[in-house]
Order: sequence, then C-alpha cells, then structure tokens
Amino acid sequence: MSGHTPGRKTRGIESDSVNMGFQIAPMIDVVFVIMLFFMVMAGAVKVERELKTTLPGMAPPSLDKPQEMPDEILVTVEETGVVTLNEEEFDSSESKDLPNFTSTLVLLKQEADNRGAKVLVTIEAEEQAKYERVIDVLNSMAKAKISNVTFTVGSDNLF
Amino acid sequence: MAGGGGNAENGEPEFQIAPMIDVLLVLLIFFMSITTTQVLKIDQDIRLPVAADAKKKESSNVMYEAALNVKWTPNSQQADIKLDTMEIPEEEIVGILNQRKATNPTYRVVIRADKAVPAVEIQRAMTIIGQAGIDDISFSTLNQE
Repeated sequence: MSGHTPGRKTRGIESDSVNMGFQIAPMIDVVFVIMLFFMVMAGAVKVERELKTTLPGMAPPSLDKPQEMPDEILVTVEETGVVTLNEEEFDSSESKDLPNFTSTLVLLKQEADNRGAKVLVTIEAEEQAKYERVIDVLNSMAKAKISNVTFTVGSDNLF
Repeated sequence: MAGGGGNAENGEPEFQIAPMIDVLLVLLIFFMSITTTQVLKIDQDIRLPVAADAKKKESSNVMYEAALNVKWTPNSQQADIKLDTMEIPEEEIVGILNQRKATNPTYRVVIRADKAVPAVEIQRAMTIIGQAGIDDISFSTLNQE
C-alpha cells in the first residue's frame, strides 16, 4: 500500500506530517454521542419541589387590630383515599387530580377574596391514610392558592 | 479573499471545524451541568409523591434548612426518620433543631417522606419539628413521575 504513483505518494507524506497527532473526527463523534445522552437525560430530569405550610399556634396573636373570623373549611382524607370537603365527598378515590374538589376550592377562595375574608383549611387525615393522598389534597390547595392550611391526623392532635 | 473562507481555490468555502467544536463543547457543558446538579439532589431511597403545582425550591434557602427524611420499609411496615443523613433518636433531633433555630430564627425544615408512608408517621415528624419550636415547614415533592 505504499503509494506507487507519484501523486498518491505526495499526498501520503503530506497527511503524515499534518495529521500524525490529534484526530478530530472521532473526537466529534464522541462529543456528539455524549451531548445526545445529556440532551435526552435533560428531558427526563426530576426536579424536587415543595409545598409550603406552617405549624399553627407558634406566632403570638396580634392585639393591635381586630381579628377577622376566617372561612373555615374541613377536608378529610380517609384510609381508602376518599376526600371530603365539609363532609361532602368529592371525586373518586383513584382520581389523583381531584378536579371537582379543586374547582370547588377555587370558587370558595374567589368568593372569600371578594369579601376580603381569609380561608383557613384544616386537613384531617386518618392515621393509616397514605401520605401521597395528603399531598394530592395539598396540591389542590396550591392550585387554588390557599396558603392557610393546617394538618391533623386522627381527631385530637392539631398541627 | 485569501484566508477568509479557508481553502477557496475552487470557489467553495471549506468547512470550518474549530468553531463547530467550540459550539459543541459549550452545548455539552450546558447539558452536563443542568443534569448533574438536579439529579444529585434526589435521594433514591425515598420515593417522593408527585405534585405538579408545587413551587420550585429557592436555592438561597438551602443553607438555612434541614431535611427530615421519612423512609418507609414496606416489609417491616416501619418508618425511619433521619435528620439529613443522620440516623439519631428523636430527642436528639429535637435538640439539634432547637439549637439551630436559636442561632437562626428563620430556620426551616423540609419533610421528605416516602409516598407510601401513613399519615400518622408524618404527624410524628411534625411533632418533632413542633417540639423544636420551628413553624416554617414544607413538604418535598417531585414535578413528574
């Protein structure tokens, strides 16, 4: 394979002297593959988010201005996954999005906002109710932009 | 036009490899950085629940918050509560949190619980936080399954 024609020989010598060291083509191949991998991974990335709440009873009540009575809503989460709002059952126990429950909360919040009243939601979960279901309910609260949420398990301890 | 478009003896500009490598490397670094920083935050042992409407975490808060990890073992039906990565008794957790709250009044706690944990275990975690005098808490969730 040593070039017999004068033209080929010249090219061979030229490429030997120029390309002896760093090969660019395989490097681009590798970079492309790595980049494709990270591009695909970027789409499936799971980001950790947070649902904020506060434990009540910590802040001292302000005596300066008269306290308005908030609209109280009682939400219960049963062991079977059933969610009730003021003792009325909403959506099926399998429904993760809780569409009817969420739309009712949005309406209640809007109505309270129009009156200038606060909405106070108490979530009462049964002891063996799944945490995932509680988060579904808290997610609905976030959708309805309700921030005053208290959480209780069983019927006596309020947090 | 010598040198402008590379070896343009036959009228066609030559393909420039150097700028292309520059662009590729920048893209590569971009995708590498966004994947690694976000994937590392997730503890694989705890399967967090999904809440699409939860807020994004504020990165500035990370210095002033603790994570209370509630891991669920289905076989033994038992929940283990850890403060960050420390597996210590509940009284010690209360003591440590109390100390941190005393030095920083805005200190907060994030509850990172497995989605299969029963609500009573969440109450246990909240009791610990309450005993430490911390009222600013949040529940950690994922944006997608």
